[in-house]
Amino acid sequence: MKFTNQLTVGVALSLLASAAFAYDADWKRGRVYYRSVCTSCHAVQPVGTINPSSKTKAEWAAYLKGDKHAKGKDTVKQYVSKAYRASIKSGNKAAEKFAAVPDQELLDDIAAFLTKGAKDGDAPASCN
Amino acid sequence: MPTFMRTTLALCCAGWLAATGPVLADDAKPELKPVKLTTTADHTKFKELQQVFNSGPEVTKACLRCHTEAAGQIHRTKHWKWEYLNPQTGQTLGKKTVVNNFCISVASNEAACNSCHVGYGWKDASFDFKSEENVDCLACHDTTGNYKKPSGLAGNVVTKDMEFPPGSGKILKAIDLSKIAQKVGKSSRDTCGACHFNGGGGDGVKHGDLDSSMSAPEKEVDVHMDATGLDFTCATCHKTSSHDVAGSRYTPTAKDSKGAHLRGKADNGNPATCVACHDNAPHKKEARLNQHAAKIACQTCHIPSFARGGIATKMTWDWSTAGQRDAEGKHITKKDAKGRIIYESRKGDFTLGENVKPEYVWFNGQVTYTLITDKIEKTGQRTPINKIGGSPSDGKSMIWPMKVFRGSQPYDPVNKTLVTPHTAGNDDTGYWKNLDWDKAIAVGMNTSGHPFSGKIDFIKTEMSWPINHMVAPKEKALGCVECHSKDGRLAGIPGIYIPVRDNNKLLDTVGWAIVFLTLLGVFGHATLRIVTARRH
Repeated sequence: MKFTNQLTVGVALSLLASAAFAYDADWKRGRVYYRSVCTSCHAVQPVGTINPSSKTKAEWAAYLKGDKHAKGKDTVKQYVSKAYRASIKSGNKAAEKFAAVPDQELLDDIAAFLTKGAKDGDAPASCN
Repeated sequence: MPTFMRTTLALCCAGWLAATGPVLADDAKPELKPVKLTTTADHTKFKELQQVFNSGPEVTKACLRCHTEAAGQIHRTKHWKWEYLNPQTGQTLGKKTVVNNFCISVASNEAACNSCHVGYGWKDASFDFKSEENVDCLACHDTTGNYKKPSGLAGNVVTKDMEFPPGSGKILKAIDLSKIAQKVGKSSRDTCGACHFNGGGGDGVKHGDLDSSMSAPEKEVDVHMDATGLDFTCATCHKTSSHDVAGSRYTPTAKDSKGAHLRGKADNGNPATCVACHDNAPHKKEARLNQHAAKIACQTCHIPSFARGGIATKMTWDWSTAGQRDAEGKHITKKDAKGRIIYESRKGDFTLGENVKPEYVWFNGQVTYTLITDKIEKTGQRTPINKIGGSPSDGKSMIWPMKVFRGSQPYDPVNKTLVTPHTAGNDDTGYWKNLDWDKAIAVGMNTSGHPFSGKIDFIKTEMSWPINHMVAPKEKALGCVECHSKDGRLAGIPGIYIPVRDNNKLLDTVGWAIVFLTLLGVFGHATLRIVTARRH
């Protein structure tokens, strides 16, 4: 019984911890990163633009979960990572501004923007 | 203790440490609890907001339980009253009253226009301007970007999916007011822009220097609002006091000679001017430019063009061509090569512009409107919707950049007045539905309470919009030759001497002759000195 109580406390603590520190995604920061960093390569030429409204919310969720960039040649996370931001920050103001943001937070921000700006999102968005 | 229990307990503890550890380590100050730094209140924690809201006023009631004075403050503002008494001219202005040459007027079109009112339910003259719960807090304080007030619902929100207009098959989706209310925060470019970017009926239509490219602009579009740089919101300059937003289109500050604002200074004036931050002599390296600042508004050089964010602004609107139908009697829409609408049966012909060079005038801040009660003679000249005051000699004027919007709009040739047509609305008299000016103007004038003869003509008008936003980086400010040339930007500006523009042939000839004679004298004198020196 004693151990059961301890176990319950442990589980509760664990859940509380994750709830207390759950990150509240900032779609506006995601918007700036997407439009300044992602779109800096995904221009009309040579790669082609990818409007947030070109996919549904489910498609964006699957894309981010799959984490395959350029058809699996590398990962999406790589382009959101601190290391990547550090590598381009001299020529990209968004990368410089968000240089210290934890990777997962920035990824959540971008996911929030894409969910909102998706074809079936609350505010379908373009690249600009 | 069974092994699986020990293992589970260990995993839970590890989970706790994993969750808290990085935060504590990052903060390096374990005594500080993690908090939101952008607000002093986490509205998700308020029980008042943890409920289902079925209407906007229900949310407002919840807000007012804590923010007891907010609605009363809003009631005193232009954003609420849409009415403004101009102390300079004595004219009663405000959206409720003025007529323009875009969608023309609010009267009889309240249900559509008032989706941009900071209130709920203003559908006609019966609206209760004293109601506190009719104040819309979320229009300015939404942070989710999901708050919407569709046109046609008198500023109300949709909390259950609905077909609108009825019978159209178009479904307006419900918004989750509870989620939105729990995420309220400071106003932002997005909240202000929801209305101010879309003035005149669409993105960038009206102002020219305000459109959705300003939601998260690059430095090239606006050096202050640059989302990866200074990141100003609208309220950074339009500093708000008791919910009253500083800065006015009706009484703009054309010349601010009060210098930079200081804390505690008794009369700081309008905080939304350039001078309020940059002072009256902002050019540190080129002091000569400060002399320019005595007569030339900062905006003239620092906003070289408007509509620079990739969104076109409307430059002309000809209502007189509205009403055409196709062979089947249906409304027509025409688009240009870029897919932008340039003709609609319900509105007439438009022209659009991007990267538009402003027009320039002397401006002293006084704006006099042509109101519905004013008599107008139809002449060869365009009638000014708003007359911009100013002259080179009044000591109050500066040279300002303007977007001048030109159009042709319906007019009563017997009473010699502008008219207020009923345009929006899913009824038999709404022009945008039935394309019938007779009905639309009769109903609109009856609603606004002004006489209508029954005769309709069209009159050419123009309306000036001082350009204030889309300030370019200093490297992109105008160069000297843009004005100091014969056909420069200030070619038509009277009452000021502008070198190069204003050269006089006779004066130049005399001047160069003096230079030539001076040089001749110097060389002649030198030659004589050399010659005489050799003789000795």
